[in-house]
Amino acid sequence: MKPPGAFDHRLPEWMRSIRFRYTLMYSAVLFGLGALVVGGLYLILSRSLRGEPNPSTLCRYGTCMDVFTVNQFRELVHTRTLEKLRMYSFDALAVLFVASLGVGWVIAGRVLAPIGRITAVAREIQATDLSRRIKLYGPDDELKQLADTFDAMLARLDAAFAAQQQFVADASHELRNPLAIIRTNVDVALADPRADPEDLRNAFSVVRRASDRMARLVDDMLALARRQAPEVHNEPVDLGVVVAEASEEFVAPAETRGIVLDRAIAPGVTVIGDRDALKRAVANLLENAVRLAPAGSRVRLALGSEKGMAWVAVSDEGPGIRPEDQPKVFDRFWRADKARSRADGGTGLGLAIVKEIAESHGGEVQLQSRVGVGSTFAIWLPVAAPAAGPPVRVGPPGARALASPSAPAPERLQRPDDFSRP
Amino acid sequence: MRVLVVEDETDLADAVARGLRREGYAVDVAYDGDDALDKAAVNAYDVVCLDLNLPGTDGIEVVRQLRTAGDARPVPRVLMLTARDRPVDRVTGLDEGADDYLVKPFDFDELKARVRALLRRDAGRSGALLRVGDLDLDTARHQALRGGRALPLTPKEFALLRYFMSRPGQVLSQEDLLEHVWDEHADPFTNTVRVTVMTLRRKLADAGDDQPIETVVGRGYRLREGS
Repeated sequence: MKPPGAFDHRLPEWMRSIRFRYTLMYSAVLFGLGALVVGGLYLILSRSLRGEPNPSTLCRYGTCMDVFTVNQFRELVHTRTLEKLRMYSFDALAVLFVASLGVGWVIAGRVLAPIGRITAVAREIQATDLSRRIKLYGPDDELKQLADTFDAMLARLDAAFAAQQQFVADASHELRNPLAIIRTNVDVALADPRADPEDLRNAFSVVRRASDRMARLVDDMLALARRQAPEVHNEPVDLGVVVAEASEEFVAPAETRGIVLDRAIAPGVTVIGDRDALKRAVANLLENAVRLAPAGSRVRLALGSEKGMAWVAVSDEGPGIRPEDQPKVFDRFWRADKARSRADGGTGLGLAIVKEIAESHGGEVQLQSRVGVGSTFAIWLPVAAPAAGPPVRVGPPGARALASPSAPAPERLQRPDDFSRP
Repeated sequence: MRVLVVEDETDLADAVARGLRREGYAVDVAYDGDDALDKAAVNAYDVVCLDLNLPGTDGIEVVRQLRTAGDARPVPRVLMLTARDRPVDRVTGLDEGADDYLVKPFDFDELKARVRALLRRDAGRSGALLRVGDLDLDTARHQALRGGRALPLTPKEFALLRYFMSRPGQVLSQEDLLEHVWDEHADPFTNTVRVTVMTLRRKLADAGDDQPIETVVGRGYRLREGS
């Protein structure tokens, strides 16, 4: 058996086109209609006429001749006319057929021209040049809608591709720096024949630091990439347990830095999601807070739920984030203080990962910060099922942290409702 | 030859500086753009190794300001160090006035070679070998010869001879030498320049018949051309 379409390929291209099929259909329909009309007329006319009249023969003076009555004569004329009509009709139908082929070809061409344009542009667009658009002009019809849909898709692809390229550029930049540190230190140490053990030890510790930084970067980048992959474990997760576990890791580091870690974790808040990812999100927020908060200050961690949304809030009494920087904090590789953050081991990806995790769980992250007062980061997540018990009400501690004399009244900041709700 | 290393990765900046110092350059380090501009305003650098991505004033802006400083002092040669490998990043830097670039991570030997190449551009020569009279200097191999005999020079003496040989016939004052051969940690009130010139001259005299470095009374020293 021939595969479908095999026959098609033996036809020349123009015969395989929609334009050709459209033309054929158009002329067939036109021809059929024409034939119907003409045939119908002919039938009606021929019915209304009787057959050819029989003349009576009249013989006189030795000659005979056919004699028609006037009526008969009229009928005879009709019959002849009918025959002519039939003949001309066939001619007219033939002409109509040929003409319809031409007209159909032209009309089909005009109707299909936008598709040709869409195809041409789409063919020209390379993966690296997604900036082109079809920009089809004309009435807001189906083809315009098709072209606009294409354009919208291209715009999304363009944005995604640009973001991806930016990420690759940023990532290579971030990886090249520690690589350069390692290579240069090794080169310089190796090239020195008189290097003493102390010099070598210094070089080794620099290499160690740089490779630690690279390891953290790679971890974080993989975490980001994994969040974007489709396969994610979805299971009911007790957020209270996750938050408690995440915070355990920071009790000791906080103590070393003289930071008090307050925890207010409401029980029984369950969300659907990836347990490890959620733990990582909370850990990232805590890590930032513990790393940046001044010694002797307080870091507050709280979990609660409200109106179908669970929230985890981490607030610190750190330096705060300037209003103009606040939209940027969740960008990848953004750092408030590049040199310092790097020295502290920040990769610039922590908050981007938090955002990615929150959004992939159908939630979002929010930030409230005042320079010199502190910052509160909150993750909002949809809860798994309607809370069975009475609604848990724990004010996020960040609210209190921010309630300095210059801040708005504490009750205004009492709940994370204060953030615009997702 | 005096070099400024501008790099916000302190571990990288320090290693580059250490390596270049061992080559006999006088090396200062700046960890951000503003510090770099301050140092360039005070000291006469021959080469600036400049990271493009700096906190505060970024590398491109530093190049621009170095170019347009507009005082009598010659503009230093700029070697860009960049972690971005897209052509557009390098083009911007070169267009703004950088002389060369290296993409991180770089080979340190290559960095040294490029610094030497930039210094040769000033001297108007095209090889790693300098020759003045019967003096030969191989800046790549770090060898100095007089009449074919190797001179046992310390790195500082080597750097000093290199500076003399890149400016033969010119009178160089003690201040010139201090500025281009010593880094910012040198104490301008010591006689370190005089002492080093003296030891260099003694080694040169030991290896040959005459003394190629003359004293120009009241003005400084001069390496005789074609002696």
